[in-house]
Amino acid sequence: MSTTPGRPKFDFSKFPEGGLLAVIVVLGLLLAIFGGSVQLPKFETTPDGKRHRAMVTNEAGQQVPAFETVNKFFNPRTIVQIAKDTSFFAIMAVGMTVVIITGGIDLSIGSMYALASVCGALILSPYGPSGGGTATTLGVLATIGVGALLGFLNGSMITAFKVHPFIITLGTMAIYRGIAFVQTSGQSIGGFPDAFRQFVRWEVLPDLSLVPLIVMVIVTIIGGIFLAKTAIGRKIYAVGGNEVASRYSGIRVGAVKLLAYTITGLTAGIAAVLSLGYYGAGSSGDGQGYELNVIAASVVGGASLIGGKGTALGAFLGAVILQMISNGLVILNIPQNYSQIVIGLVVIAAVLLDQFNAAMAQRRLLARTSAIKKEMAASDAAAATPTP
Amino acid sequence: MAFLSVEHISKTFPGVRALDDVSVEFEKGSIHALMGENGAGKSTLGKIIAGVYTPDKGVVKLEGQEVKPTDPRIAQQLGLAIVHQELAFCPNMTVAENLMLGTMPAHAGFVNWSKLRDRAKALLHEIGSDIDPHTPLEQLTTGQEQMVQIASCVGTNAKMIIFDEPTSSLSTRESEHLFELMGRLKARGVSMAYVSHRMDEIFRICDTITVLRDGKYVATDPIAGTNRERVIRQMVGREVLTERPKYLDLQPGEEILRVENLSSTGKFQNVSFNVHRGEIVGMAGLVGAGRSETATAIFGLDRHAKGDVYVKGKKLPLGKVNESMRRRVGFLPEDRKKAGLVLGMSVADNISLAHIDHFSAFGFVDRKREVTEIEKLTKRLRVKAPSLETITAGLSGGNQQKVALAKWLARSCDLLIVDEPTRGVDVGAKAEIYHLLDEVACQGVAILMISSELPEVMNLSRRILVLREGFLTGEVARENFSQEALLHLMA
Repeated sequence: MSTTPGRPKFDFSKFPEGGLLAVIVVLGLLLAIFGGSVQLPKFETTPDGKRHRAMVTNEAGQQVPAFETVNKFFNPRTIVQIAKDTSFFAIMAVGMTVVIITGGIDLSIGSMYALASVCGALILSPYGPSGGGTATTLGVLATIGVGALLGFLNGSMITAFKVHPFIITLGTMAIYRGIAFVQTSGQSIGGFPDAFRQFVRWEVLPDLSLVPLIVMVIVTIIGGIFLAKTAIGRKIYAVGGNEVASRYSGIRVGAVKLLAYTITGLTAGIAAVLSLGYYGAGSSGDGQGYELNVIAASVVGGASLIGGKGTALGAFLGAVILQMISNGLVILNIPQNYSQIVIGLVVIAAVLLDQFNAAMAQRRLLARTSAIKKEMAASDAAAATPTP
Repeated sequence: MAFLSVEHISKTFPGVRALDDVSVEFEKGSIHALMGENGAGKSTLGKIIAGVYTPDKGVVKLEGQEVKPTDPRIAQQLGLAIVHQELAFCPNMTVAENLMLGTMPAHAGFVNWSKLRDRAKALLHEIGSDIDPHTPLEQLTTGQEQMVQIASCVGTNAKMIIFDEPTSSLSTRESEHLFELMGRLKARGVSMAYVSHRMDEIFRICDTITVLRDGKYVATDPIAGTNRERVIRQMVGREVLTERPKYLDLQPGEEILRVENLSSTGKFQNVSFNVHRGEIVGMAGLVGAGRSETATAIFGLDRHAKGDVYVKGKKLPLGKVNESMRRRVGFLPEDRKKAGLVLGMSVADNISLAHIDHFSAFGFVDRKREVTEIEKLTKRLRVKAPSLETITAGLSGGNQQKVALAKWLARSCDLLIVDEPTRGVDVGAKAEIYHLLDEVACQGVAILMISSELPEVMNLSRRILVLREGFLTGEVARENFSQEALLHLMA
């Protein structure tokens, strides 16, 4: 096996997420520069832990509330806000990416999120605000468990009936949300244990709740390790790349797909836990329309709907990009109406860029292979000529 | 002067050279057979004449004048039509509508239904068919659909009709109808080209036969001046290999595979044979003889297979791939792109695909162990790729085949079934694969090799099983190997 000489440079084709990171950095710069600054009231904490408005003496000698100039984008509050908004989508996008890699799709993810959230709400609500650790654990396990179960049901139907996942999940999208509606009679269920809510809303600093961010990062890391480093992860890529060849290699295609859809449901459950904790209520209307955002995040992150391609990190970055655009439009004072249009354009642009990259990579590969063939042919010929 | 001639036609598709400098002359009013194995180029040639493909090089001449059938519509206007192997109609529309697709009688944008019906009826009557033009196409049998296709060709006043593997989906009776019709068309002066690999039919209805092989022209003979054996030799004969495999000098070991009365309805019947440790048993036969089907059944991919298969003396449950793999059976399929490789994955990932759990501990892949094994294999097989991470889609056919083979060598099988191991592989890689199979046999693996290349199978095998139309017609020992003996059993 020969290696092309003289290529110590960083091979960009091996790090597709680099492009996404670059986009995020550019977007961040644009928002920081064009977002401008805003005057925000300044707060300070007294030695005994109380927060109050900071005061400053003005020219006339009076005590007036102090303001600080803060960049609209580049301040901890905004960034954490974006992170929090992203977390729901990013977590589900990691799950969705697994399914997309196998060549399938799950349109019911928003509905799984709703039904999981409703089930969790129904379990937590009876405990009331005084519920403690057991209630919290029960609620969390139930929500995640329901999510995984719903995903498992999707997967079972898809492997048992040979119907396209699009159709099955289109059906379950309606069924799951319908069940949630029936369970709650359309009402929103609240009144959760304080312990649970405080856990999710835990604020490291004022207005800086990090739990969604942390969960998002953990899910991305676990998802990434699962896909890249485990045998099952390898099988998931194989099934998506060529189902027939995978079957002919002894891979249990049905089991792999079942696992993929269960994982998607699992991530919907995790996102639902965050939602219940953060917003304090669960209803059948939760997550309406989320499926498109989640699929868009996966696709922008590099997953191919044909199958065989995609990464957890990409899904995460894709979700970040879409959320930055959405929040960014607000920062830039662009009317919200445009956000849908912009997001749609971004998704198409991302896919086109991805195809372009793939075509370029293919060309480079063919060039290198023919160069190597020439090399080998030349060395074979040289070896064949008798020495004088 | 020939009615239609194609001169120096070449056509390349991505990754495969379908036709290479082919020239054929078709006489007026004759039924001219185009014969060859899979991938010979016969179907491509027919499609070029009918305007479905355009040649990269070469010309088509109609009555001496050069013509350019650049798309089916223009070809139709020139009088060149094709009856496709995969029928190209709209099943949701009626016979009449399908016949008139593209030439609907209309007035001011509205379809003239009665005219459409009458024209359709007239056409069907011309070819002697009594199909009701109002029938939705999907209700017709394949044979009737084909009649409709032919009626459509006749309707466009085709002077040359190309039939692409027409009887592959017809019953015997429907085939008879077809032959009758072709006779009538011939009487009307229509020229026909008959693309097929079915010897019996060709010898029955054709006047001339042209043989293509690997995209190249081999020979043209009048039917009266040739015979089956000669045609087969033209179809499959290749350079004879001279090197004798080394495993033949070793004693074969115990019986690894015993197949008794293996059958799968519609594919093959009552096949029985055995393969011993350290020998290569070849399986010869024409396309459609049931060889690949037997192999897939042994490997566990056919849930409808019946019979008894014993691996190392123990009965093997049929229809379960994982069971067959657990008993150390490996299978290199005929079509590496569809079934042998995941083209989007790297060389390394493909090679470890069948063995991934072995390289894993607690579910996590041990990359180091994997890479060591894979490097040994790629070195042994001389796989030419920039690196182990190269995507397989970018490799040449020969290298892809080596990767597909390496996948099974990584598993150390007791029985390795290889189906057309050198199809689409260049000469250099072919020799390497032969050496490898010999080496593997010397190490004690039992090999069942399916091949359509007689020189290849004769050189490498200790015994050759011959299948014809789903039945095992015979077994020939090495000392009795000869192309004639095999051809006799194959055809």
